[in-house]
Amino acid sequence: MNPNYLQLFRALRPETSLILGALAALGLDLVVVKRHTLEERLRLSLWIGAIAIAAAMAHVWLGQRGSVFGGVLMLDKLAVATRLGALALALLTLGMVRGARALRHPAEYVAIILFATIGFTLMAAAQQLLVVFLALELASLSLYILAGIDKTRPESSEAALKYFLFGGMSAAFLLFGFSLIYGLTGSIELGEISRQLAVQHVSPLLVVALVMILVAFGFKAAAAPFQLWAPDVYEGAPPASAALIASASKLAGLVLFTRLLWNGLGATSGNVVTADGTPGWLPMLAIISGASMLLGNLGALAQNNVRRLLAYSAISHAGNLLLGVIAVGQGRNVWPVFFYAATYGLATVGAFGVVGAIDRANPGGCRSLSDLAGLYRRSPLLAGCLAVFVLSLAGIPPLAGFFGKFAVFAAAFRLGGVSGPAGWLALLAIAMSAVALYYYLLILKQALVAKPAEPVQPIAVPGVTVIALIAAAALLVVLGVWPSLLLDFL
Amino acid sequence: MIGPSLHAYLAISALLFALGFLGVLIRRNTLVVFMCLELMLVASTLALVTFSRFNGTMDGNVFVFFILTVAAAEVAVGLAIIVALFRKRHTIQVDELNSLKN
Repeated sequence: MNPNYLQLFRALRPETSLILGALAALGLDLVVVKRHTLEERLRLSLWIGAIAIAAAMAHVWLGQRGSVFGGVLMLDKLAVATRLGALALALLTLGMVRGARALRHPAEYVAIILFATIGFTLMAAAQQLLVVFLALELASLSLYILAGIDKTRPESSEAALKYFLFGGMSAAFLLFGFSLIYGLTGSIELGEISRQLAVQHVSPLLVVALVMILVAFGFKAAAAPFQLWAPDVYEGAPPASAALIASASKLAGLVLFTRLLWNGLGATSGNVVTADGTPGWLPMLAIISGASMLLGNLGALAQNNVRRLLAYSAISHAGNLLLGVIAVGQGRNVWPVFFYAATYGLATVGAFGVVGAIDRANPGGCRSLSDLAGLYRRSPLLAGCLAVFVLSLAGIPPLAGFFGKFAVFAAAFRLGGVSGPAGWLALLAIAMSAVALYYYLLILKQALVAKPAEPVQPIAVPGVTVIALIAAAALLVVLGVWPSLLLDFL
Repeated sequence: MIGPSLHAYLAISALLFALGFLGVLIRRNTLVVFMCLELMLVASTLALVTFSRFNGTMDGNVFVFFILTVAAAEVAVGLAIIVALFRKRHTIQVDELNSLKN
């Protein structure tokens, strides 16, 4: 390896601008803390954060491509697309922060969102186990803090603790898996690992390593049976934090593990096209995927809390996303699952933005589904945007969620029709989408049809949040009508 | 090579990891659970150092330095969360943290 620090610095300019933005937000807040109200400080921090993210996006767009620093980072099309996607989702999250209940530490909140975003952009490009681990931990540690940042509510701290304990355990599993992989292959570079594994037999130690990495992946993606943290965290964390946890973190994590599994461990994938019982990680992934679809959708039917319902919906979407990872296949067609994850992230950010705005307007917060009642009268904008987000999550054409699902299922069928587990899983996913329609329509029934029990006040939504909500909804519609826009650009 | 074999080191590492995992599953005090998490990280560290020595490459040793740093950051975040929770709920027993249930 020939270290070229100048090249590394150029490749990391997006991360540098995010760090500078976070430091500027913290520093300026120290200067203005005495003389200004909480709201003014929040506005200042949000603008700095938005500028930093916009600068990072420009750097990603204009920056160099290709392998960096002897293959530690890989800035290919997928990395650039994921970095842009994660940055855009973080930007939308900043817009949602403004509309949600005000927190006591605005600058810290924005700075930590930026730190988490650095983790996401590194996750998108990591090509070496050490960078994978560090990026994942940077993002995770920031997200634990974001979940628990509302110190006035015990639910927030409790959500953070649960997230932290589950996340810490998954990190330990991942690390042990990595150490075994390193022991078996003698390298921490994904390319070298892949070459070494291609000439090895599947040893028991390798199976242990694969199981451990998949456990960590399952935790990160909130897939069954590792989903226990998701409903509690989505319910307890501030809505904007939950939006980031559910969207940008999912997208970056999914791309990270797709790269890790296919590029690094592709030689031990096993077989799911036909049910011949070849050992590998694909059959394990298929089981996790099917379990998530069943548990997520059936669990969501029983929920009365909006955020828990969104969490169970996230678990079921995790099942579909894992099916997408399976469908990447030997042809390395990552775009269906990328499209799915990106559009799912957009819809989730938007949905949590709406929940956050209602949460701020209602004295009792936004808990049960009936808190949404009469939303169409209180704020036609929120109701309309919520309808777009929820219908996209449900996969109704012509919204982008439909094309995400369509592309993933089509890719899964293309692997080998319905002759093997991959095809059966796609059939299950289609059946479960019909079940999911029921609980998504329950949300919309409350928001668009139900009459509120008592007279309610209109909801005032700040301008920044209005722009973010409309941008997310417009993107979902545009990408749904012209999905080729995103796919061509990639 | 003089000294215990690769398998001996790996066995200890696996044992430490299993102990940590068991502790996370059965202990009810958040602080003890937290310590067990650290034990799991240390187990991975031991495995990495062992492999580094027996593979003859430095990657594992370098990895360990970063893990120690990350573990320290994790302690800071984790303890902060536990303190924030204790101020509100006056307990750190896992069983009593059930306000987020339907």
